[in-house]
Amino acid sequence: MNKTIIININSIVFHIEEDAYDTLRSYMIDIKKHFGNTAESKEILEDIENRIAEMFNERIQTGRKEVINLEDVQQVIQQMGRVSDFEESEGAAGGEDFHHERQAGQVPHIEYVGKKLMRDPDDKMVGGVCSGLAHYFGMEPIWTRVLLVVFVLLGGSGVLVYIILWIVMPAAETRADKMAMRGEAPNLQNFKRSFDEEAKNLSETFSGTGEHISRSARTAGNVLSGCLGLIGKMIAWIMLIFAGLNLLGLFIFYVFNMMNFFGLENPMFFPPLKGLSTNDGIIALTFGFLAIAIPFFALFFWLTRILFKTDKLNSYLSLTMFAAWIVSIVGIIYYCIATAQDFREKSTINVQKDIQPQAIYNFAEKDIRVLDASEQDSLQSKFNVQLDGQDLRNYLHRDISIYFESIDSLSQPYIQYSYSAKGRTYQLASERAHNIAYEAIQESSTFLFPSHFLLMKNALDRDQQVRVTVYLPRGARVRLQRSIEPKVRDISYWECLNNYPEEARQQQKYTEWTMSGAGLVCIQKPQPTPKEEEEEAVESKMKALLNEIKDRKDSVIRIGDSDVTIEVKDNSVRINTKKQEKN
Amino acid sequence: MIAENTQTQMRKGILEYCILSIISRGEIYASDIIAELKKAQLLVVEGTLYPLLTRLKNNGLLSYTWKESSSGPPRKYYQITAEGQAVLSRLDITWKELVFAVEISMQGRKD
Repeated sequence: MNKTIIININSIVFHIEEDAYDTLRSYMIDIKKHFGNTAESKEILEDIENRIAEMFNERIQTGRKEVINLEDVQQVIQQMGRVSDFEESEGAAGGEDFHHERQAGQVPHIEYVGKKLMRDPDDKMVGGVCSGLAHYFGMEPIWTRVLLVVFVLLGGSGVLVYIILWIVMPAAETRADKMAMRGEAPNLQNFKRSFDEEAKNLSETFSGTGEHISRSARTAGNVLSGCLGLIGKMIAWIMLIFAGLNLLGLFIFYVFNMMNFFGLENPMFFPPLKGLSTNDGIIALTFGFLAIAIPFFALFFWLTRILFKTDKLNSYLSLTMFAAWIVSIVGIIYYCIATAQDFREKSTINVQKDIQPQAIYNFAEKDIRVLDASEQDSLQSKFNVQLDGQDLRNYLHRDISIYFESIDSLSQPYIQYSYSAKGRTYQLASERAHNIAYEAIQESSTFLFPSHFLLMKNALDRDQQVRVTVYLPRGARVRLQRSIEPKVRDISYWECLNNYPEEARQQQKYTEWTMSGAGLVCIQKPQPTPKEEEEEAVESKMKALLNEIKDRKDSVIRIGDSDVTIEVKDNSVRINTKKQEKN
Repeated sequence: MIAENTQTQMRKGILEYCILSIISRGEIYASDIIAELKKAQLLVVEGTLYPLLTRLKNNGLLSYTWKESSSGPPRKYYQITAEGQAVLSRLDITWKELVFAVEISMQGRKD
């Protein structure tokens, strides 16, 4: 069974076998090249084509067949004559007739076209990589081989390079491949030349001696190439699975993130998308998805093509995909720049609120996420915090810091709130800062700081921060509840807590501080350290020792329960710490 | 090399002369010209003929007409023009001179 091609010569239709067509085509190309491109040569070509058509026709009629095969074409070419035959008859003196004429008998020069980097299976020691490289760079294979050996000796990098090149470079299997490897134009003359050379090489190989080394290396090379093929296949499979899983993961990621934008709240949310409005976010997410998924898809498809020998992807589709990829990359860059621009200016708004002086100022946090005790553990409340039917989860921010500063002891205490945000312009930034809603709630002597602040009017996430500074008169007593600890800056809650006795620490829900000139100071004094305890032990030991030595010749040290008496007899000195009693 | 060159040039000159004289016999189709030339062992392949015919035609020595063929495409039938006829008679004279010259030059040779 052969594939046939329908051709039209001089408005006569012929069915021609594929290989016959290839031969005919390269023959015609050769002839065209030979005669050049003038009005005269056009006529000559027409005549030749007509004659070929006629000869084909004769063959079909006499041979009672329908398809022109390679043999027919070869016979026709034989009859018509090859370009070299024309040259012979035209001769040197005919040079003025055609600008393409050549010296008779001259070796036809080889036309070099773009070379292809391929392994040469005819001239190989191991895999034909070196000779392939040599063909590509137009040098003798010996030099590339020497270079490779040098690289192998210098740290063995050559081995890796060789293996990679072996995998990457295709073998020049067909004659056309080999000619492309050598950079010869694929025309009839070169085909013939290549064929002749091959035949010559073959006879040389058979008659040649001293080929043992090369031959054994070649066998080793074949075995290795088989192994490499297997390893390559395994790698391809692993990569295929990897690419497939990545695609799947990306798709799930994309769908879930998309659901977030369309009101189906779920925990999968890509943080950078918070910086974009819903509309921009949808586009940016799609761009991001395409930018990552398309290369994986290409890899996936390429691997399936290798492993399952499936067809090439439609060129329109692949071109469209490539274009989509480029657009996605540009889109992502645009969104990155645009978003970064929106962080350029920073604006801060300060608001002061007076507070009533208290005996003890109590500070605590109020977790505003907890809405209902019965709902606290349900999934609903964790992912879907709502207030007045509005979803708040995306508007909750917790970049809140609390500082304590001292003021004069008789001054009015107050709290200062600094709201800051960023924007493309200063105005935009201050507008955003304005949209932060955050304030402490006072319940008798307790000030409750909400755990999060809210952004009004669907504002974008632009590095919004709240800085709270509590100004208290010197000497004020402060009680910090444990809940507020993460928000308190500058002082160490834990250091103060450590001052409490160890057994009480667990139950201790707050730490107590006083306002000094330099800020808050922990009231609780540090617990005696183990070193002090040791000193105490030494002291009691000494006491016991002293008890034992109360009688001596010259002096007495008497240690009683409530007094100590020291008597030195010679000088009749008596010291008693206890008050003298009546006799 | 030189021998080959000279041979080719001699052949080439004679080839044109022969073609003209074959065509001068009457209207003829290209492949019939080839058949004649092959018989005379002057031409090996057909492809060579077409450039020559085209050149002779362009120089006004030949003309052609299209004729339907019973099998296949229409064919070009060549015929000689008056100018071609004049050239041919001049070539006839030249050829006779050449034959004479060659005979004269060959007389002294021993073989």
